[in-house]
Amino acid sequence: MPVLMPSLLIVRLKHEVDAERFVRVIYDWRLARVIDADDQIIDELYWNRISTKNLVDRLSDLQSGRLTTEARSLKERFPEATIDSLGALSDSEWPELSDEEMQKFIEASTRLAKRGVAESSGDIDRRMDMLVSANNELRSSWTTLEARCIEWTGLFLFDLDLDEQRKKIPEIVSKSKSINEVAKEFNVSEPTYQPSKDEWNSINSQAQSVVNLANQITTSEETIRVLANDYLPSLSALMGPISAAKLVVLAGGRERLARMPSGSLQVLGANAAMSAHRKGAPPPKHGAILFSMPAVSRSPRWVRGKVARYLAGKASIAVRIDHFNGQKLTKEQISEIHKEAESIKNKFPKPPKRK
Amino acid sequence: MSRRKPIQLAWGVHKEGRTLWTRNAVKGVSVRGERRKKDSRIEWRQWEPQKSKVAACLLKTKLDPSELIPQPGSTCLYLGASSGTTVSHIHDHVCGSGNHHNGQIVSVEISPRMMRDLSKLSELRPGLIPVLGDARNPMVISPYLRDKVDWIHQDISVADQTQSFLKISGIFLKPEGIGLLSLKAASERWIEGGDDSRFKEAEKLINLNKNLTLLENIDISHFESQHRIFVVKKLDMV
Repeated sequence: MPVLMPSLLIVRLKHEVDAERFVRVIYDWRLARVIDADDQIIDELYWNRISTKNLVDRLSDLQSGRLTTEARSLKERFPEATIDSLGALSDSEWPELSDEEMQKFIEASTRLAKRGVAESSGDIDRRMDMLVSANNELRSSWTTLEARCIEWTGLFLFDLDLDEQRKKIPEIVSKSKSINEVAKEFNVSEPTYQPSKDEWNSINSQAQSVVNLANQITTSEETIRVLANDYLPSLSALMGPISAAKLVVLAGGRERLARMPSGSLQVLGANAAMSAHRKGAPPPKHGAILFSMPAVSRSPRWVRGKVARYLAGKASIAVRIDHFNGQKLTKEQISEIHKEAESIKNKFPKPPKRK
Repeated sequence: MSRRKPIQLAWGVHKEGRTLWTRNAVKGVSVRGERRKKDSRIEWRQWEPQKSKVAACLLKTKLDPSELIPQPGSTCLYLGASSGTTVSHIHDHVCGSGNHHNGQIVSVEISPRMMRDLSKLSELRPGLIPVLGDARNPMVISPYLRDKVDWIHQDISVADQTQSFLKISGIFLKPEGIGLLSLKAASERWIEGGDDSRFKEAEKLINLNKNLTLLENIDISHFESQHRIFVVKKLDMV
C-alpha cells in the first residue's frame, strides 16, 4: 500500500478490490475510466483541452505503449487496477467521438503520418542504403563508360597499348583538344583516318564523364567510410567500412543483420546460389561481400568455406556489438581473428581426396 | 453495340460486364490514372482487378460479392495499405463524398515512401485515416480505433501473414465481421511442396481458430500470380 494514499480512498478501494478483484483502467486518447468487473464506472477523467498539436503527440505516445496523462492519474489513484490498453475497444458503453473531436482526430492522424514520413530521414539505415546503392550504380556506370572510352580511343590510335596505358587514357583524352594531341601525349602514331570534329567532341565528353564518375565514386566512398566507421565501428574494423556498409544494406538494416544467424550472414548476397541450393545444388560457401575479403578470396577453393564460416561468425558478433552498444573490438582482437583465419588456411594445404 | 446493364453490387460498387466501378468520392480525380465515366450526376471510377486484390476477389468469388464488401458507414481496418489504390475504392463506397456516410478506414502502412502518397490521399478523402507503423503490432493500431471494426483486409508481404492476421482479427474484428486475408505465397518461408502447401498450411491455421469460420478460399492467380484470398467471418458469440 502506498503511504501517500488518502485513507478514505483506501478503505473504499479495499472494499471494491476484495469484492471483485477485477478493476481495470481502460482508456483512449481523450478519456480514461476505471471500471469494475460488472463494467460499472468507478472513476473517469476527460482530456478537456484538446488541441490538434498535442493530439499528434498523444497518438504517437499511445502507439509506443505509453499511457495518457488521464490514464496515468487514474492508475495513481487506483494502484491495484490493471491497465487494459485494448479494453476500451470492447466496452459497449464507451462514448462516441463528438464532431469536433472527430475532426481534430482526423487532422491529427494525417499530421502524425506526415511527421513519420519526415522523420524517416533520421534513420541511418535508410541513409546508408541510399549511399551504398548510389555508389553501386555509379560503379556500374563507370565500368560501362570506361570500357567504351578505351575501345573508342583504341579504334583511332591503333598502336596504343590499351592494357598498359588503360588507367591514363580517360584522363588524357578528357584534357586534350584533338585526337592528334592524345597521340602525341602517348607518343604513338596519329590515326590513319581522322574523326570528324563532332565525333571527337563525343569521344572527349565520354572521357570527361568517366573522369567525373571516378571522382564521384571517390567522394561517395569516403562518405560511406566515415558513416560506417561511426555507425558500425567493430564490423568496419573487422571487414573494412565499405564491406560493412554493404552487408548492412543487403540485410536491410543494422538490426536485421544483428539478429541474423551467422549462417545467413555467410551467404548474404549469394541469392542465385541459395535458390539453386533449394533445388538441390550444393550450398554456397559465401556471399559476394564475404568473398571480397582477401582471407576468403585469396584462399584455395577447398578452405574458402571454412574461412568464410569462421569470419561470418566473427562478423555476426561484431555487428551485434555495434547494434547493442557493446565494447568495440580492439585492434589486438581483430588481428587475432585474422591470424586464426590464416591458420585455418594453413591446416589444409592440400585439397581433400575425392571419394 | 448494346451495353450490358450494370449490376449494383452495393451502394457504391457496380459491375458492368467484367468491369467493376466505384462511385467516385472526389469528382474529377483519378487516383492512379484509372478510367472515369459519367452516369447522369454520378461519376464512376474503374476498379481494376489487376491492381487491386479486393477487386479481383469480388470478380472471382462464388459467394454474393456484396457480402465481402463493408457496408457504407462502417469502420474498416486495412493493413498494408501501400499507396492507397484499393483503399481509395473502399473509401468511395464506405465513406462517400465528403464522408457523408460517416465511415472510417484506418489504413496501416509501414513504408514511409508509400505513406507519402497515402497521407496526401487522406487529405482529399475525409474518413481515411493513415497510420504509419507495423501492421502486426496491435499497439500501433489501437489508438486509432474507438470500437471494433466491421471489416478487415490484410495485405502484407512478410512471413507468418496468417498468424498475424489471426491475431489482429482476434483483437479488432467485431462478431459477424468479415475479414479478407490476401496471402502471397512467395512471402512465406520455404516449405516442402511449394505454393500449394503454403496455402494449405494457411487454411489449416484458419480452420484451427475457433472464433473464425472460413467462408471461401478464392484463387486470384488469374490477376495476381501466387496469390489467394481467404474470406473469414467472426462468429457471433465471442
